[in-house]
Amino acid sequence: MRIVCPFCGERELGEFTCLGDAKPLRPAAGASEDEVFDYVYLRDNIAGEASEHWYHGGGCRAWLKITRNTLTHEISSVEPAAGVGARQVAK
Amino acid sequence: MAEFSWLSRSPLEHVLVVGAHGARDVAPGISLTEVRNFDLIQVMARRGKGAELANAAKVRFGMAAPDLPKAVSASDVTLIWSGPDQFLVLSKSGKHTIDILSQAFSQSASLSDQSHARALISVSGAKARAMLAKLSSLDLHPAAFPIYAAAATSIDHTSVNLWRGDDRPDGQAVFNLLVFASFAESLWHTMLDSAAEYGVDIGYSGELG
Repeated sequence: MRIVCPFCGERELGEFTCLGDAKPLRPAAGASEDEVFDYVYLRDNIAGEASEHWYHGGGCRAWLKITRNTLTHEISSVEPAAGVGARQVAK
Repeated sequence: MAEFSWLSRSPLEHVLVVGAHGARDVAPGISLTEVRNFDLIQVMARRGKGAELANAAKVRFGMAAPDLPKAVSASDVTLIWSGPDQFLVLSKSGKHTIDILSQAFSQSASLSDQSHARALISVSGAKARAMLAKLSSLDLHPAAFPIYAAAATSIDHTSVNLWRGDDRPDGQAVFNLLVFASFAESLWHTMLDSAAEYGVDIGYSGELG
């Protein structure tokens, strides 16, 4: 499997680390215990297109947001995660 | 109070043996040269200051810092792309030290002095690409990796900054590698093993290529 890093170009899988599901969003301060439990522990086991965070640790050290089909490993999009480089973190 | 003497030594001092290595019955296909005594500063733009850093770099170096995986060179400095909104400043003779650069980039970037934290190895020779192909998954063909192409990549599970410098006078390509000092010895042995079959000419230099 190869990933086309938006900064470095096409690189082998060994340069990347998968963090996992990019969908969960940190609950607001004061959220209920159930919401925090969901955020920390509960993940969907997706058969199909999944949105994931990957880290290009063996290259430019940027965090990437990747859409990957878990059945075929086909990657349909790779984009920088929020706040990569000097970018402002998206509100 | 004890007196300390801070000597700067090459991380490869104990393993680099000048001379021939590997196959002896052929003309050396690989030249491995360690470059010693350089100034190396990591420059990273602060949040939202990418454009300011680009402007400050243009003022300081008289050329645009690379925003793509490339290196750019002036007479006394080389800027090497190392990731989004960041680059390395490689120079000699104290012209671009951290003290000088931190003035120039005080408003736009965070700086970190890497001068004694990396080893710089220059690989060239007729078999340089064949040897690097054993270690790297990058396409180093001249069409894909021309002069001044750069990459942040992994070689032998070790992070390196790799870029192509000016060709040697005999037309051979030169690949420069910056590696963390503590991994330099390990990578050096790996490179020697990979290069041995082609015959290696080992040396070191105080000059940037």
